[in-house]
Amino acid sequence: MKELSELDFPETVRYTEDHEWAAVDGDTVRIGVSDYAQDQLGDIVYVEMPEVGDMFEKGDEFGTLESVKAVSELYLPMGGEVVAVNDALLETPESINQEPYGSWIIEIRPTDPAEYEELMNAEDYVDMLRG
Amino acid sequence: MDELRTTRLHAWHLENGANMARFGLYDMPLWYPAGAKAEHLAVIESAGVFDTSHMAVIGLQGEGARGLLQFCFTKDLDRCLGKEKSPLVAGRCVYGVFLQPDGTVIDDAIVYQLGGNDYMVVVNAGMGGIVAEHLDLHKGRASLTIIDYTDKLGKMDIQGPVAAKILEKVLRNGDEVLAGMVYFSCRGGCDGLQSPTAAALLDGTPILVSRTGYTGEFGFELFVAGENFVSLWQMVLAAGEDLGLLPCGLAARDSLRAGAVLPLSHQDIGPWLFANNPWQFALPWQEGERGFSKDFLGAAALLAATDGDHTLPFAGFDLRKITVGKDTFVTDLQGDTIGQVLTCATDMAIGRVGEMIVSAATPAAEGRPEDFKPRGLSCGFVKVRKPQAVGELVMLTDGKREIKVEIRQDIRPHRSARRPITAML
Repeated sequence: MKELSELDFPETVRYTEDHEWAAVDGDTVRIGVSDYAQDQLGDIVYVEMPEVGDMFEKGDEFGTLESVKAVSELYLPMGGEVVAVNDALLETPESINQEPYGSWIIEIRPTDPAEYEELMNAEDYVDMLRG
Repeated sequence: MDELRTTRLHAWHLENGANMARFGLYDMPLWYPAGAKAEHLAVIESAGVFDTSHMAVIGLQGEGARGLLQFCFTKDLDRCLGKEKSPLVAGRCVYGVFLQPDGTVIDDAIVYQLGGNDYMVVVNAGMGGIVAEHLDLHKGRASLTIIDYTDKLGKMDIQGPVAAKILEKVLRNGDEVLAGMVYFSCRGGCDGLQSPTAAALLDGTPILVSRTGYTGEFGFELFVAGENFVSLWQMVLAAGEDLGLLPCGLAARDSLRAGAVLPLSHQDIGPWLFANNPWQFALPWQEGERGFSKDFLGAAALLAATDGDHTLPFAGFDLRKITVGKDTFVTDLQGDTIGQVLTCATDMAIGRVGEMIVSAATPAAEGRPEDFKPRGLSCGFVKVRKPQAVGELVMLTDGKREIKVEIRQDIRPHRSARRPITAML
């Protein structure tokens, strides 16, 4: 297990208590899981994703990550409509381990863009992880 | 909760980036930075080494030792080796279980005969004291000494097709020590546990080498005195460096053993009747399974049982698994609950090719396509109320996710555990 100091928490994205990240890209938001999450889960071997067009509320379960250790639910940091899913992860789910912030899972058009501001910044997230 | 115990490699595990978790009473590595998938595949294709010092060793010495084991352990030590069912002799070992009088399981174990009246019993983590006490309770007037070696020895498993090549490099006269070593035999000794054949490390350190393991693959379990353990671990890693050896954690151990249809004690076997499961070879059945060749603790309860749950291996159709918990169930295809899930892991070395399960180790001549890339299959054990035929489909569910799996006779094909050692050196 890596020390927190060895993990990467870029300031360009926001974080949730469930260890997802969200990154604004124009009028859409990309969602993935944090370096901490992938380190805890171990080898990610399968990703279950929603369909393009699915609508979710903030906090809804939108998919699962399957690692050697467990099956983990993914929760949406912000409500919105799925506009893209990262199909490349079906073939190479391990890229989430290798590049957690490069490996977005879904892209949404948020219902309320202001929800982004309610998410934790890197500093608050690391504070939460430190307990 | 009891204080977390550690093995002598604990500092090494932390320094080398292991992801740690509590297993039994011990803080153990789940995987190292290579990851559990790479570790699992290393054991299929080259080798892996596991810290298994959390397991417990008990020594039995004296005239009454064999008789006590005959009464408490399920295997018939006078009829257990090979097709001929010849008696256990010094330098050989057998797998069986310790039962309560009611036929439920205390623990599974490998029993070694080291000398004439000298036996060694290897049980699971935290079970040394419990099994030693159980043996003591039943010894009556038998003349023997029972010694609990818990936390006194170091134990590691080298598993995988190149295991013998690695071990040969760290043993003095390694080729001679390993020559002719059959499955379920041992050589050497340590700390008063001495088999008839000598074995030592290059520097003369005594070592007990056992051709056994918990992965279904070719390999060895090594026992040394505690103070020699960390240096042996480093010696083995150095010897295996150019042979593809990886240190492996408990996650790979679990997925390998599940694919090899080996039970995890207190999960797949436990405080319920040891009946109707894939491990009946642990019992001294006479031909035709009508009776036992000896009497032993729990025998009457097993013979009297007419009904009960059935424990069966399964494999899925892709790598998706469910996390086993109190809300996981087995249902039939109509959705009616028929039992519970005991183990659900992913064997990362296998995949389905048509009707067949193929492993990364399956020879091309036996059906492995040239471009075969194992994606992994979920597998494990279910305990169901009525018997299910091999090939029957059932559902595993955790309330949210549902996966369809097939009842199997066997799971990962082409395992290397029983290959002759001449083919592996």
